[in-house]
Amino acid sequence: MNDIALAHYLFTGAVLFALGMVGFVTRRNMILMFLCTEMMFQGVVVSLVGFSRLHGNDTGQTFVIFVLTIAAAEAALALGLVVLLYRRKRTLDAGAWAELNG
Amino acid sequence: MLCPSVEQGLFAMVYALYTASVIGAIALWMMMPRRGYNPRKIGAILGAATLGGTWLVLSRELPGDLGISRVAFGYSYIFSAIAIIAAVRVITHNRPVYSALWFVLVVLSSAGLFLTLDAQFMALAMVIIYGGAILVTYVFVIMLAAQADDPEGKQVVTEYDAVAREPAGAIAAGFLLLAVLLGVYFQPGSLVANPDAAAPSDAQLIASTLTDRPAKKIEDRLGADATDRTQHLDNIERIGLDLFTSHPLGLELAGVILLVSLVGAVVIARQRVENEPIVPDTQP
Repeated sequence: MNDIALAHYLFTGAVLFALGMVGFVTRRNMILMFLCTEMMFQGVVVSLVGFSRLHGNDTGQTFVIFVLTIAAAEAALALGLVVLLYRRKRTLDAGAWAELNG
Repeated sequence: MLCPSVEQGLFAMVYALYTASVIGAIALWMMMPRRGYNPRKIGAILGAATLGGTWLVLSRELPGDLGISRVAFGYSYIFSAIAIIAAVRVITHNRPVYSALWFVLVVLSSAGLFLTLDAQFMALAMVIIYGGAILVTYVFVIMLAAQADDPEGKQVVTEYDAVAREPAGAIAAGFLLLAVLLGVYFQPGSLVANPDAAAPSDAQLIASTLTDRPAKKIEDRLGADATDRTQHLDNIERIGLDLFTSHPLGLELAGVILLVSLVGAVVIARQRVENEPIVPDTQP
């Protein structure tokens, strides 16, 4: 695969990552913040598969399996915590927990 | 070595990318959720124009030989466009359920991108695990914590969904990162395929690792076109070989992480909450 053609795939990956980062910082809904981290994973995964194709090596795709594992574990734990926090204050606003800042 | 005019064109491309990042950042800022006047449509048009213009400039520098089929590369533009538009909707939509549904579209279109890269197993795993399992969990939790509609049946958008937090600073930081990444990616000579990194060929893998692969069975079942299949490995076969021969420790650790998070999720979910309101305030 040509390097400029690969750069087009990396473009999509980088945009997804940057949008996920912006979303994580700007959204105040705790569930959406974690959804945005999943979007950053998506950006990384697109880049990994692209690099796998460039180098002709399958390890890039194997790493995607590990990324999926971490994403699934993160979703289970983060959503459990979010539900717990919601039960305490009846709001999903991350700002409601501002007293936690040191 | 590149001739000077081509190199000049590539450097012009990098500056075009910086400009596109700035305009894209302004477009996204316009689309962020806020109260009062919201120039969302102007932002959407500006953003779409920026994306299209960027691709026009970038595709001019494409060489004749892409290394992948032209049709697949053409489809990759469509999937990329859908993925980026859906990603923008995820972070700008002020109703969480719709954000989650737009994220499903991001997952599906990146699965399409994987198909154009000949990564069929990853594409389907993405759809099943992300679209099928993780996103369903998200939608469940969003619905669990949903605000009740007001008595007239109008949908309530909560304050924290309707107003973004510090959009200008976050977008500046995010798009600065994006500009640097794209500048590096499109700089000539920064991405070079390493021939030493290439995995062994299918024939080598079959000879060294898959010695008891039932070639006879494949021939019996497929008949005439079996000679092709017995000497070639599928995408899923290659990934399986790579996973189990090169990353056995990672595989075990992934299993441990899944077990720990399973236990952790149960412990967290069973915790009692003090002062929990007995009558949920979501009741009208």
